[in-house]
Amino acid sequence: MSHGFCLGILPVGEIEPLYLKIIAGSFLGELRTKSLILPPLPHPNYAFDKRRLQYNAGTMINELETHAFKGCSKVIALVEEDLFIPVFSFVLGEARMGGTTALVSLYRLQKNPTRAAKVALHEFGHLMNINHCHEKKCVMKFSKDIEQLDSISSIFCNYCLDQIRYAMKQKR
Amino acid sequence: MDQQMKILIVDDELVVRESLYHWFSRQGYHTRSAKNGKDALGKLENENFDILFVDMKMPGMSGFELLEVVKTRYLDTAVVIITAYGSIDTAVQAMKIGASDYLLKPFKPDQLSLIMEKISQQMKFTTEYRYLKGQLDKICRFDNIIGESDPMKKIYQMIEEVAKTDAPVLILGETGTGKELVAKAIHVKSSRNNLPFVPLNCGAFPDSLLESELFGYHKGAFTGASHNRKGFFEVVSGGTLFLDEIGEISQKMQVGLLRVLQEKKITRLGDTREIDVDFRLLSATRQNLESKIMEGQFRSDFFYRINIISIEIPPLRERKEDIALLAYHFLDKYSQETTKKIDTLDRKTLEYLRQYPWPGNVRELENAIERAVVLSKSRTLTLEDFNFLKPNYPPSSHGMTLTLKEVEKQYIDTILQDNQWNISRSADILGISRATLHRMINRFHMEKP
Repeated sequence: MSHGFCLGILPVGEIEPLYLKIIAGSFLGELRTKSLILPPLPHPNYAFDKRRLQYNAGTMINELETHAFKGCSKVIALVEEDLFIPVFSFVLGEARMGGTTALVSLYRLQKNPTRAAKVALHEFGHLMNINHCHEKKCVMKFSKDIEQLDSISSIFCNYCLDQIRYAMKQKR
Repeated sequence: MDQQMKILIVDDELVVRESLYHWFSRQGYHTRSAKNGKDALGKLENENFDILFVDMKMPGMSGFELLEVVKTRYLDTAVVIITAYGSIDTAVQAMKIGASDYLLKPFKPDQLSLIMEKISQQMKFTTEYRYLKGQLDKICRFDNIIGESDPMKKIYQMIEEVAKTDAPVLILGETGTGKELVAKAIHVKSSRNNLPFVPLNCGAFPDSLLESELFGYHKGAFTGASHNRKGFFEVVSGGTLFLDEIGEISQKMQVGLLRVLQEKKITRLGDTREIDVDFRLLSATRQNLESKIMEGQFRSDFFYRINIISIEIPPLRERKEDIALLAYHFLDKYSQETTKKIDTLDRKTLEYLRQYPWPGNVRELENAIERAVVLSKSRTLTLEDFNFLKPNYPPSSHGMTLTLKEVEKQYIDTILQDNQWNISRSADILGISRATLHRMINRFHMEKP
């Protein structure tokens, strides 16, 4: 279905390989998208905010988007650290609408790769210009914390799925 | 949440603007951002925003100053203040001058969701409130009474004058003249206008029921009185009680009402305790109460009590100059309600409506226009649309003296119009020959339209 579309899965700092495999499996299962596990980048010290003791997601995305990941249409970067954006106290993941690279923080997911896969699919949706969804179970529904993250499924609702498929066709 | 809401983010820090912009965009909101107060005011001049997220500390115009301007110029726009931890006092002050909420930086994303939900609800309630208030105003508006004739102008003046007093008013007029509208107008113009207006049609209740409706009852007062119930005298509590068809009430009830009017106290049925009541009484009747007094059917003491001031509404046939105005008003009302594009009445129809006696007065005219609008298939209402008026009330000049010839001419004209000037058919209906009808048409100088 999505021949030609390749997702890059990028560890930033040290990341357990299991997370990378489960995320790649989720994308293959949900979107029939092949993934490429990229060589890890160094720990993102440059994004550390001494005042908040967290890592600035915006700074990280800016830095990661300067890299060219050959053959990858979009990139999902995984980081162990706690992320924030200036107005929010924390974020589980971050992506810019239509951007090339999204971030997933494993910090608050309590060592649960399924949760990481949900965040990755959700942020990928944003990279494909998909807004938050109001369907109860859709993975694009906004989750404020892991309780809410657990209440949604790992799949897109039909409406979001159609939009993503269409957007992926354009990206090929 | 209402994704149609438009949001303006006002913050001097680019990262904050971007963060919020991205978050709102991902939620599907229409979002714009401004880098300072001046920029925000410029954007507000060109576009309507439902919510502003404003940073408190900005160079130049502070968030506080912007809030003050927005709350003066754009009353419908909600403002949420964003402030750094530690400046709660400022946030509280902002709430006092009209901010809808405040956020302490950094906040959890769900706080934003909650605020959006709260404001969306408030806006929904405000819209609903305005709609309902508009409907209520429509019902109670003084300008619901339509008419520019001299008798109506006198009535408007009377309404203005009597509204200032607390005296009972008796409104007289034939059925359908708008007695209740006048009563409502008096209530709306009076100092009791923020209290209930309670109308009660006395003619619709048998005596015993009317008594329990007005006075209320105590549990066990009669079979079926399973609980205590307040009557209209209590329900109206400080407002205006409008008793329509007051001529219909029995002498026994008149005595009871007279006592209430004099003492401003009531006793619920089946109770012994007296309850103080405060209301203004407006009453109305289509009957001639003075002749009822002569016949011994209406108490004179009660009549003088309710008739401190009287307003007489003339029947529609006595204010023909208002008919066109009313007809167009109802045409507009019902074409809007039925979403039919009917914009006018042709000249002959208007003249016909003017000459029609309207025994049911304004109500009958309203019903006639409504029916015509519903059934009409063209953009202009014609005589054909008012055919239904003829059988019962042939056009005559009620109150005017016509000669036999004039009546003859008018009737022939009506029959011809009804039959689209089909001479054979019209002659048949009139019971005369075609030749006679032709002669009469010539004699009366009648012309086919």
